[in-house]
Amino acid sequence: MNRDDAERKMLLTEFARCRACRFCVDVCPTYQASSGVESFSAYGRMQIIKYLLTGMLEFDDSLTYCLYSCLQCRRCETICKSKGQNLDICELIQRGRRLLSGRLARGGKHAKL
Amino acid sequence: MRSSKILISQALNTISGNMERTGDPLGLKTVYWTRWAENLDLPRQGPVLLFTARMYQMLPYVVQATEMAEMAHPLVPVLSIKTFAKMAEIAGAVAADPILRLRARRARDIRSRAESALAGIVHALGDAGIHPSYLYEKEPYSGVLLHDLGMEEAAIRVARSVYRTLKGTGAETVLTVDPHTTYMLRHVFPRYIAGFDLNVRHYLEVLADVGAVPKKIRKSGLPEKIVMHDSCVMTRDLGVVEPARAVLGRLGIEVLEPENTKTDTACCGGPVEYAFADLSRSISCIRAKELAGVCRDVLVACPICLINLMKHEKLMGIRVWDMGEILNRVFAGRFIDESIAQKP
Repeated sequence: MNRDDAERKMLLTEFARCRACRFCVDVCPTYQASSGVESFSAYGRMQIIKYLLTGMLEFDDSLTYCLYSCLQCRRCETICKSKGQNLDICELIQRGRRLLSGRLARGGKHAKL
Repeated sequence: MRSSKILISQALNTISGNMERTGDPLGLKTVYWTRWAENLDLPRQGPVLLFTARMYQMLPYVVQATEMAEMAHPLVPVLSIKTFAKMAEIAGAVAADPILRLRARRARDIRSRAESALAGIVHALGDAGIHPSYLYEKEPYSGVLLHDLGMEEAAIRVARSVYRTLKGTGAETVLTVDPHTTYMLRHVFPRYIAGFDLNVRHYLEVLADVGAVPKKIRKSGLPEKIVMHDSCVMTRDLGVVEPARAVLGRLGIEVLEPENTKTDTACCGGPVEYAFADLSRSISCIRAKELAGVCRDVLVACPICLINLMKHEKLMGIRVWDMGEILNRVFAGRFIDESIAQKP
């Protein structure tokens, strides 16, 4: 298993720990600024990465916007921790970006996972 | 949202290309980060090194680069990807340096505030008996933007090079001035560099630990009350919450807390400004409104928070202070004490 495969496996395992309580949604500054679109929240971004990794979504402009507009401010993690789940949400989104960035830099519009 | 894929692709290529070509995320070739230290006579070597990582000095250029990127956005759907990429590559390699430097001349206010903040930090450290060295034109950028964008391989290369430079000075302790560089040095560099052994401290931690009340406090020109905007990185990543409050308390400035504060602080929108300026502005507007509702004087201790909240100063009637600016007024005496000036 190469490094990218190990990273994918780890990400999917971590996303499976999310209980979908959605407390992280309301506190996300980008969710607040976008008048309540869930794709612009921590939960939404985790779902996007999950479905990109499993091949159920195709990487397009709107998904790029959702993933790269994460501020990495960790406000979602504070609430996740207080609800007892303690996911490193921003780290997971950052790792998702890491899988994408190399391809985006090389492939531009035609980048795929 | 339209053409986001191309925009991000282009941003990633431009930033990593600039770093490889010039060692600067904006691609500037000329040294622009030493002017603030010209009259401070800081030594070039010593056990304690001040590492600004150019973050404050970069502010006037960041504002211009963001404006120019915004101006180019309408071209993205019109041009083919190859043409746009080629244009951006040529513009970055040939014209970025002179154009950015020329346009940044207009941003005198930002430049003077950034330089004042850095000078204030050095003066406050001096008052506490700490006299750091500074790398001047050899000071590198920390690579934090590469890390944030997920460009891990490039970030690792930069981290190793920066570590070699810092170790080369013989310094044991590195004093940082902004949360982002502190986070890189304290949490990211040790992941990439085996045996990382620099003692990394933020200047506010040092000033809070010293504990002494400054001997001379020039009160004029300082706010009596100030509302605190905590940086996300400082509080949630680094767990540094109280030092800024302790230092302000010693200076006799009352700290007011907004609704979202300390580890529950709200972001200024800065991290996405490089590509999504509209979204960044909406987020900073929400935060600025919240802060303006508490007090017209707002305190930040981060260059990114400073430029993002500064945008709303006129509209919301607020004055955003960087902690370094406050320290400069207290310790450097750059501004004449009004009570003394009025005496015959």
